[in-house]
Amino acid sequence: MQGDRRLGSPKKGLTNAHHAGGLGYLFGMAFATLVLFGGLPVAHTAEPAPDVPVLVPITGFLAAEGSSQRNGALLALQNPPAGVHPRFAVTDTGTSPEGAVNALERALSDGEVTVVVASMLGTQMLAMLPIAQAQKVPLITMSGTADITRKGNPYIFRFFPADSVVKGAQVKYAIEAHHIQKPAVIYQTTAYGQSGHAEILTALAAAGIKPVYEDALDVGVKDMRPVIAKAVASGADSLLLQLHGGPTALFLKAVAAMDVHLPIVAGSGLSQPATVALLEPAELKGVCGETGSSPISGETPAARDFLARYRDAFHTDPDGFALGQYDATMMALEAVAKGATSAEAVTKALATGSYQGVAMTYKSNGHGDMAHSAVIVCFDGTSRVPAVVRHYDFPISP
Amino acid sequence: MAIAQLLVEVLALGAAYALVALGFVLILNATGAVNFAQGDLVMAGGFGAVLLADRLHVSGLVLLPALLAGMAVLGVVVALAAYMPLRRRPPEAVFISTIAVGIILQNVANRLFGAEPVATPPLFGAGRVRFAGVDASVQSVAIIGVAALLIAALYTLFTHTQFGRRLRATAYDRDMAMAIGIPVDRMIAGTFAVAAALAGAAGLLLSNTFFVTPSSGSDYMIKAYIAVVIGGWGSIRGAVAGALLIAAFEVLYPSLPLLVPALLWMPSSDAVFSQTTSTIVLDVAVLLILVVRPQGLFGEAARQRP
Repeated sequence: MQGDRRLGSPKKGLTNAHHAGGLGYLFGMAFATLVLFGGLPVAHTAEPAPDVPVLVPITGFLAAEGSSQRNGALLALQNPPAGVHPRFAVTDTGTSPEGAVNALERALSDGEVTVVVASMLGTQMLAMLPIAQAQKVPLITMSGTADITRKGNPYIFRFFPADSVVKGAQVKYAIEAHHIQKPAVIYQTTAYGQSGHAEILTALAAAGIKPVYEDALDVGVKDMRPVIAKAVASGADSLLLQLHGGPTALFLKAVAAMDVHLPIVAGSGLSQPATVALLEPAELKGVCGETGSSPISGETPAARDFLARYRDAFHTDPDGFALGQYDATMMALEAVAKGATSAEAVTKALATGSYQGVAMTYKSNGHGDMAHSAVIVCFDGTSRVPAVVRHYDFPISP
Repeated sequence: MAIAQLLVEVLALGAAYALVALGFVLILNATGAVNFAQGDLVMAGGFGAVLLADRLHVSGLVLLPALLAGMAVLGVVVALAAYMPLRRRPPEAVFISTIAVGIILQNVANRLFGAEPVATPPLFGAGRVRFAGVDASVQSVAIIGVAALLIAALYTLFTHTQFGRRLRATAYDRDMAMAIGIPVDRMIAGTFAVAAALAGAAGLLLSNTFFVTPSSGSDYMIKAYIAVVIGGWGSIRGAVAGALLIAAFEVLYPSLPLLVPALLWMPSSDAVFSQTTSTIVLDVAVLLILVVRPQGLFGEAARQRP
C-alpha cells in the first residue's frame, strides 16, 4: 500500500499512544480527554475531512491504465477545493476480483468512508458493487464495462463514456470523414474488445453498413500481419479497431511496415501516451482514434493547466483515464465542499448534480453513467501529439 | 504476402521462442523441476536491454554481451534463492518457489520501470532488406542470425567444453556426477546462468518488435512449456522444433486463406482461420500429442512430466 493520510483518525492516535508505553499512554489519555471536552483547539475540525480510499490496479495487465487512474485521483486529492482536507491511501487491487473486494472491505473497516475511487477493471467492479450497496458507499470509476451501470445499483458512478458513446463517435467519424462502406473490424477477445465490437456493429448497422471482415485477437497475439493482409484481401475500405494500447501499437507498426494505406479509426487505446510512445510519428500519420478526452492535446486553458500540473507531479503525460478520474474525484470533493460530508450525501450529489469538469460536463443518466461526450483525435505524422478533430456530444438517455 | 516472407517471420519468431524454450529445458534436465520464472526472465532481459540502451546509447547487438552477463548473474541469484534451499524437497516446492520469483521480478520491474510497454533497441537498425526476392525487416533477419549463433554457441558449450560435459553429466544423473567429483551445485547454478542468459537474449530480440511490460513474461512461459511438451519433455532438439511449430501456428495458420485462395470459399473461412482459432487448434494439437505420443515428437528422456 502506498500514498499518505493527511489526518490521522483519533482511534489510531490512541492506539499508538497505548503502544508507546505507560507514560505515552497517560499522555495519550490526557490528550484524548482534552480533545473530547474541547480543551485544545484542533486545526481543521470544523472543515470536512472526507475519507477517500483509492483502490486501483497498479500491477498486472491493467497496470498502465490503473496507474493513470491513480494519478488522476491523486492530483485531485492533493489539490482539493478550499476548505476540504481529504484523507486518502492508495491500495493496489491487482487484477483479481478477490483483490478488489479485500481492498474495499479493508478500506471500509478503517472508518467512515465518504467515497471510493474504484478500479477501472470491470470484473473487479462487478465484485465490489454488492458491498458498496450494502455499505451505502459511492464508487467513482473509469470502468467501461457496460454491465456495471445496468444492475440498478445506485452507488456506482462511471466517469468514462460508455462504449455506446465512444464507439458511436468512432463509427460516426469514419462515415463522415472517410465515407466508409466496407469496413474491417479488428477487436480484442477481452471483455473490453467484445463489448466495443458489439457497439461498433450496432452503430454500423444503424448506418446500413456491414463489415466485410471481422477478426478477434487474443492480447498475446504478436504478429498482426496475417490479420492485416486478410483485411486488405477482403476488399475493406477502412480499418476500425477496438484493441488495447500495446496491440494497437503492434497493429499500426505492422500496417506501416506493410505499406497499407487504408483509413484507420482506432479505439481509445491509441490515445494513451504510452501507446503513442512506441510508434514513430510517421507510423501514426493519418491515424485517428476515439477517446473520452485528450488532455495531451491541450485544447482548452483548463486542459493545458491540468497537463502542466500532471507533468509536474508525475513526470509523464496524462491520458483520458487520468483526466476522467481527476474530474470524477473533483466532482465528489466539490460536493463535500458544498456540505455533502457523508457517503449518502455525496451519493445524492453525484446522482442529481451536474459538474463542469476539465474534459466535459458530467451528469448522471439515472444509472450512474456520467460522461456523454467523446472526441476524435488524429495524428499528422510529424509529432506524437494528436489534434482533436471532432467533438461528439450524445444526449443523456437512461 | 509471399510464402517466403511469411517463412522469414516464422523463423524469426520461432528462433526467439526457441531461446526461451531451451533455457526451460536446460533447467528441467539439470534439476528435474520446472522453472516457472523462465518467462519473467525474458521480461527481465527486455527491461535490462532497455536500461542498458538508455545508458550506453548503442545498438542491441553491441549491448548483447553485457546483457548476457547480467542475466547470467541474475540466473545464479534465482538458483540460490529458489532452487538451492529446496533441492532436497519434492519438485513441487521448486515450482512454487520459481512462481514466487517470477512474481517478485514482475513487481520489481513494475516498481523500477512502470507498467507501460517499452521497446528494446533494434539489433542493427530499422528498415527492410530484400534478398532473393524476399522482402523482410532487418530486425527479423537479425533475430534469426543472432538466435542461430546463440544456439550454435550453446551446442559448442555442451559438446566441446569440459564445463558443458559436466553440465550434461549433472543433467543425466546427479548422484553419479556427485560420486565422480563433479561440483553438482555449481553446475546447476551454471545451468540457471545459461538459461537466464538465453531468456535475456530472447527478451532483447522479441521486445523490439513486440514490446515488453512487467506482465509480458507469462505469455512466454506458456509458449516455452507448450514447445517442450510438443517437442519432447527434456529434449533440446524438441524444444527448438516445438518453438518453431508454435511460431508457424501463430503466423502461417491465420494466413492459410491468403496462401491457398480456394480456402476463402469455405463456409465461415474468416472464423476458421482467425487468430483465435489458431490458438485453439494449437492447443488441441498439444492435447492430441499428450494422448497419442506423450513423450513428444522428439521424446528421448524418460522423465516424469510434472
